[in-house]
Amino acid sequence: MAGDPAVQFVAVDKWYGSFQVLRGIDLSVGRGERIVICGPSGSGKSTLIRCINGLERHGAGRILVNGTEITGQSRTIHALRQDVGMVFQHFNLFPHLTVIGNCTLALTKSRKIGGKEARDIAMHYLARVRIPEQADKYPAQLSGGQQQRVAIARALCLNPKIMLFDEPTSALDPEMIREVLDVMVSLAQDGMTMLCVTHEMGFAKTVADRVVFMDQGLIVEQAPPEDFFANPREERSRHFLRQLLN
Amino acid sequence: MQFDTAYALETVPIILQAAGTTIGVAVASCFGAALLGFAWEILRRSGRIMSYVMRFVIDCIRSTPVLAQIYFIYFVLPYYGIRLPALLVGILCLSFYYSGYLAEVFRAGIDMIHHGQMEAAKALGLSRRHTIAFIIAPQMLRNIAAPLGNYFVSILKATPYLAVIAVPEMLGSALDIAAETFRYAEPLFVSAVIFLGLAFVISQLVAQMERRLMASHRR
Repeated sequence: MAGDPAVQFVAVDKWYGSFQVLRGIDLSVGRGERIVICGPSGSGKSTLIRCINGLERHGAGRILVNGTEITGQSRTIHALRQDVGMVFQHFNLFPHLTVIGNCTLALTKSRKIGGKEARDIAMHYLARVRIPEQADKYPAQLSGGQQQRVAIARALCLNPKIMLFDEPTSALDPEMIREVLDVMVSLAQDGMTMLCVTHEMGFAKTVADRVVFMDQGLIVEQAPPEDFFANPREERSRHFLRQLLN
Repeated sequence: MQFDTAYALETVPIILQAAGTTIGVAVASCFGAALLGFAWEILRRSGRIMSYVMRFVIDCIRSTPVLAQIYFIYFVLPYYGIRLPALLVGILCLSFYYSGYLAEVFRAGIDMIHHGQMEAAKALGLSRRHTIAFIIAPQMLRNIAAPLGNYFVSILKATPYLAVIAVPEMLGSALDIAAETFRYAEPLFVSAVIFLGLAFVISQLVAQMERRLMASHRR
């Protein structure tokens, strides 16, 4: 087990009807590795990470998470989700629950942890994302950046081994992107295995071990950020980077 | 014929007694209809075949007169050895009939919930049961508080149907009084006023529920 990669894709294909979103994806992510996935919209990058916690089912090929293959069985998917946390573009906080309620729901209901202990865990992670004073507010009372940090804390409460970020800053106003990225950087420095779909190239340069560039369902290129940004090998990567800079 | 206020007041205690039955039947039927309707809607969402089956079932429930359902349960079931007390038949029938309408209301309320909510619940490893109870149901209720209240008032106003199977509800008892004294205006007026009051109480309760559910949206 210890030698297994955290996430491994082997020749993974996926179709939406007749449209192929993922084409022969091979990708191996080591433990503690930080991967940034980028590419134009519709390139399949969100689909790729959503396959890792079973929000999307892949078609052909195999996906292994911590050495266990994802199959259609609900029990394996349920077990898988215990180890994989996810942060969404639009936060997806539960609007009818307070911040602390968002963080403790899965702890108390799924993990059967007592209310007091769950609250302590939640407060610990809310402090980690520097927002403990908002614990008793509702999501609608917070700024976008604060909401996204709550979403990160909510995922961390379950002590995941792998964190998935699906464009976590794309829905944020520019002045709030920093506070979310700061939290993600500190998470990366603690050795969390992270797969992050983002166009924040500064973030990629700071923390990524590898940048994966996707286009039209293919992994076009993967390289350490310094190589990828300085001299991308593929024309499509160059084209993408030019557009991003303009 | 003049409206006799003194006589109207005399009928109040008798009609109020029947109002107890009306309230009991209405409250039980509101709960019954809501629970059944929610069950239909959850079943409808539990698979492709079930969605067709439940759509048909819900249409059948809504497309037959409630009076026909009441007569059927009360007079036809005993042929098959199923004999239920009138009060129970009444509650069952109103619950059943309105469950069809409430299922439709619940459907709209669930459709309004952003699909990201279900995804977040999945990503957190919440079971389907927990997701329904703690994520979907509360947000659905918030979305549909107003139409739900309307149907609760409708259920209250449908209780006089049960007079046909001799459930001692309010309108029936008012008519009984009228039949004895040949004075219709006073007992009917009294029962109408009580109905009005009860409907008002229901809409106030629903408004209060809505305010509480909306608390999370205040900034």
